Amino acid sequence: MESSQRPTLAERVDGLVRWLFDGYITTPPKGAKVFNDALLGNLLFSRHEVAVIDSPILQRLRRIKQTGLVYYVFPSATHSRFEHSLGAAALSERCFDAIQERAAVEGTILPVSSDRANGDLGHLRMAALLHDVGHGLCSHASEQIYELLSDLQEFKNDPAYTTNAPGEILSYLIVTSPTFQKWFDEYVVHACNAKLDLKTISQLILGKHDDPDRYFLANIISSSYDCDKLDYIARDSYYCGLALTVDLPRFYSMISTERHPKDPKHRRVLVLRNYVPLEQILFSKMTLYGSVYHHQKVKCLDAMLRSMVGHIVENPTQSGVPIRGHKLISFTDPVEYLYVTDDEFFWQPDGFGDGYIKTMLNRFRNRDLFVRCLEISRRTVTNWNDYGRQTLIDLAKLPQSLAQVEDEIHKHLNPADRAKCNKHDIRLSVPTPPRIKTENALIQTSKNAEPENIEKYFPLEQWTEAYAHNKWRSFVYAPREIAPAVRDAAIAVLKQYSKIEIDETKSNQTCHL
Amino acid sequence: MPVTETILPDHILSAVLTLAKREQAKHGKNVSRLAFRSHDFQLQEIFSGLQRSGEYPILNAFVFSDSGPEPYSPALSESVSRLQLSGLIGRENPDYEIVFLRPAAERYFDDILQKKFSQYEINQLRDVATQFLKLVELKA
Repeated sequence: MESSQRPTLAERVDGLVRWLFDGYITTPPKGAKVFNDALLGNLLFSRHEVAVIDSPILQRLRRIKQTGLVYYVFPSATHSRFEHSLGAAALSERCFDAIQERAAVEGTILPVSSDRANGDLGHLRMAALLHDVGHGLCSHASEQIYELLSDLQEFKNDPAYTTNAPGEILSYLIVTSPTFQKWFDEYVVHACNAKLDLKTISQLILGKHDDPDRYFLANIISSSYDCDKLDYIARDSYYCGLALTVDLPRFYSMISTERHPKDPKHRRVLVLRNYVPLEQILFSKMTLYGSVYHHQKVKCLDAMLRSMVGHIVENPTQSGVPIRGHKLISFTDPVEYLYVTDDEFFWQPDGFGDGYIKTMLNRFRNRDLFVRCLEISRRTVTNWNDYGRQTLIDLAKLPQSLAQVEDEIHKHLNPADRAKCNKHDIRLSVPTPPRIKTENALIQTSKNAEPENIEKYFPLEQWTEAYAHNKWRSFVYAPREIAPAVRDAAIAVLKQYSKIEIDETKSNQTCHL
Repeated sequence: MPVTETILPDHILSAVLTLAKREQAKHGKNVSRLAFRSHDFQLQEIFSGLQRSGEYPILNAFVFSDSGPEPYSPALSESVSRLQLSGLIGRENPDYEIVFLRPAAERYFDDILQKKFSQYEINQLRDVATQFLKLVELKA
């Protein structure tokens, strides 16, 4: 039961920032620094940026994997949110420079300043550097769990924040927290003489800018082709070993800005002069979804993380995660997911929690993963053209109902099998369609042409249609020793719950049962 | 086990499209199917207009951003994707601009959705469906 005295989400985020800075002694950097990035090469950061990079809120990202638990499937994918943040900052500048270069050639006057310490470029780079500080345990794997908690749903229902992902909202709250503002003012603005405005930086993180002439800067940070996407598509595919191509130099040469034709505020937005670079981005993104993010074993790992979190939520006293300062984390609050990093959660020397948590941690250490018991897909569902899938897909938005269905499968097991497992061992994974944000995606074929929506040139919807028909697969996972029993129970429960009928033989072929 | 009573944005969109098909039939139009020309950004425009009219509180489930140059509701965009994913609506080749309602959507409405909504809500959804038909380019 929530107390009426409970601090607000913003206050709790400030508590997190205070905890992060507790015991940290800021030593102002001596000067600029070059970081050698495996993907982008040598990246030069100014002195004030190094101060932020050295601070606990950026250093924390070293211990959060960019692709969550993907490295259990693609062993090289151990890259972190930290290096992605450096990459995004570097790419934001390349976009900025390309836009300015084209504007100069075409005679367009852009009222932006390239000063890294005081100007628009400085704000842009800092926003890109800080855009992911709101990520927590296992990145998107935990975001899928905590995004449905009530605090963040309130933001989702607010027109000012509805387009923002939970991680962006938490990044915004960290950057605007009183503790960070005070530190930033003292050590970045004054000690490093960088006249940067945190309000502008925080707005850029949310994809906003108050100045209509500078609105395109927000698009560089958050849009269909932002610096975040440019970096993570290139970085994730590189570290997963996928040979995907996004021709970045070509992309830079094709971006420009223009007044939005339908905007009452006549904001200057980012436009593409050719749709091929966006086609490459989307193709790469869909390939990453199909091959990596929605890989069946990756979904299994996400489901196993949900098993542990679910167990900790129900048993906070014996299973809570200990952190510095003797606080126990029980994952009932979105902010708690930010107190724990991947390293601290999975690699505590003596482990933590009760017998179930210790067993699960051992499973992760030894890569003794759950197995597929049942495949729910076009190939295995005999009444695929009926509406059962919708009932199933609804569960992705209804965590309590999903837990009920999983619980029901557990109850359907005979007592001997039920005794062999915990109710959290049975996981139904319902992937959602890949998110392709088309908001603000405009094509302008030449300087004098009116910008048009990307869909008029390139049917984005065909990707979701193709994905729905050919790629989407839902699975039931469980420990190997009870897999056949869970399969039988799941077939019965899903038929009752969603009227889905599954061809067991076809499912067994995929699940190797 | 009971199906949840929670109403999601997907349910509202699915109900509007099903009722639109039935409204078409009432007016003696081609009733074999509901098909209309629309990309996602056009659906955003139509639904934001209807929601912002204030006449249909049920559409408040679609929260439209007030910070971008064009109205945009992630809930609506995700609902369209999920209805495609669940096979209740489809898109046609070659340009994927024609959206059509599949037969499963009507069965879903009759078996599941109708019970989730009150009569007051059904009436509102029907009014939305009527307005929707006026705003889209219907296809045979």
